[in-house]
Amino acid sequence: MSLLDRYIHEVGRFLPRKKRGSIQAELRSTMVDALEDRYGTEANQDQVEEILLEFGKPRDVAASYHPRGQYLVGPGLFPLFQMVAWIVVAAVLGAQLLAFGVGVFIAGEPFSALETLAALVSSVPASLGWVLITFMILQYFDAKPYLDEETWDPKSLPEINPEERLKKGELILGLVGGILILVLVTLFPQWVGFVTTPGGAFYPNPIILEYLVLIQVSLLATILMNIYLLWKGNWTFLTRVIKLGLDAFGVVILGFLIQGHNAWLAVKGQSSFDAWISSIESNNWELVGMHAFRLAFVVAFVVTVIEIFVTIYRMARSKMTSDVSAKDFVLKVE
Amino acid sequence: MMMINADYEQYQKLTQELRRGILVLAALSQLEEEKYGYSLISSLAEKGLDIEQGTLYPLLRRLEEQGLLNSEWNTEGSRPRRYYQINSEGSQVLGDLTREWRNLTDVMEKLLAGSSS
Repeated sequence: MSLLDRYIHEVGRFLPRKKRGSIQAELRSTMVDALEDRYGTEANQDQVEEILLEFGKPRDVAASYHPRGQYLVGPGLFPLFQMVAWIVVAAVLGAQLLAFGVGVFIAGEPFSALETLAALVSSVPASLGWVLITFMILQYFDAKPYLDEETWDPKSLPEINPEERLKKGELILGLVGGILILVLVTLFPQWVGFVTTPGGAFYPNPIILEYLVLIQVSLLATILMNIYLLWKGNWTFLTRVIKLGLDAFGVVILGFLIQGHNAWLAVKGQSSFDAWISSIESNNWELVGMHAFRLAFVVAFVVTVIEIFVTIYRMARSKMTSDVSAKDFVLKVE
Repeated sequence: MMMINADYEQYQKLTQELRRGILVLAALSQLEEEKYGYSLISSLAEKGLDIEQGTLYPLLRRLEEQGLLNSEWNTEGSRPRRYYQINSEGSQVLGDLTREWRNLTDVMEKLLAGSSS
């Protein structure tokens, strides 16, 4: 087989199948034209090589026939791809650690550092692979990450206001944590409680189970809001209002949970702080755990109330124009 | 002064970038009569514009996909050749690009007249 045939065959390896035959035929025709024009009909091996060098590497020649460029995820989708990839990696690692924790501490499975490490190492590339495949499909169909790109209006550029800047790391952490807790309470509601020693007695928390649906709704709404915030990249009046609503909803649920724990402890005649101390001394782990849960919910209640005030303060400080907020509401309604 | 100090490769890249912008106009301008790839390269070279073969052929296909050129295989000669010719839409684009090019050269002449003095 001649050098020319080998070259054209090699170019064809990197061409899309649909156009391969036609491009190869045209390439052959023009290369022979070039050879004949320069050296006549009897070109020798060196002369053919010279022409091939002029055309360039087969891979480069083939690449020039790809109108969209050769990439799996293009520049338009890449920032979104990067963000999703980080979230997925964090969520997968968190889920693995959660499953490992549940297995060892609740189900009493033997601890194997090697197996845990192997699971972590294999799950990350697998999940990243799925993210990549999803984005490759989006790229193939030329999906646009921003729907309002065509009707972009310079006046819609957000004000430069440090108050409205998102703390991305904090959001991603909250997102991953929220997903993990939602997965835990949805898939393993029987394991919502506490355990004293690995594989030891497990005490379910009946109050959490009682308000499980409300907790799931709150977590899901917060996760969706965090995803929306990451997508938009900054706070707006609308997102702050939604956050305020979600925090208020959280406060109500926390109130129910604290009330429920109070009632549960009162039935046992153990609702005071002194009773907690004495339950620790007497190794009554069920009481110790319920007291600890109540304390944690009280702390969460206080923190959420503070957050509500901080959000209101920031809203008051934010310089907002009525047309921007109106536009947000219109977008939401659409 | 800057040209003297500029790295040769960098200069080559800049020149390529500059020339890339005119290739569409150059190719369209020569395709009133149908031509096959190599004859177009020769025609452009004769008039002083050397285009790399690896650049021109994909460009012709893109212009055809964009609906500015028509093409057909001709098997009558010594070997099959793909002939390209500008169509009515291409002619309209050629007219628009030509006007734009003339405006640009006028502006650039003025700009460069100021900088070279």
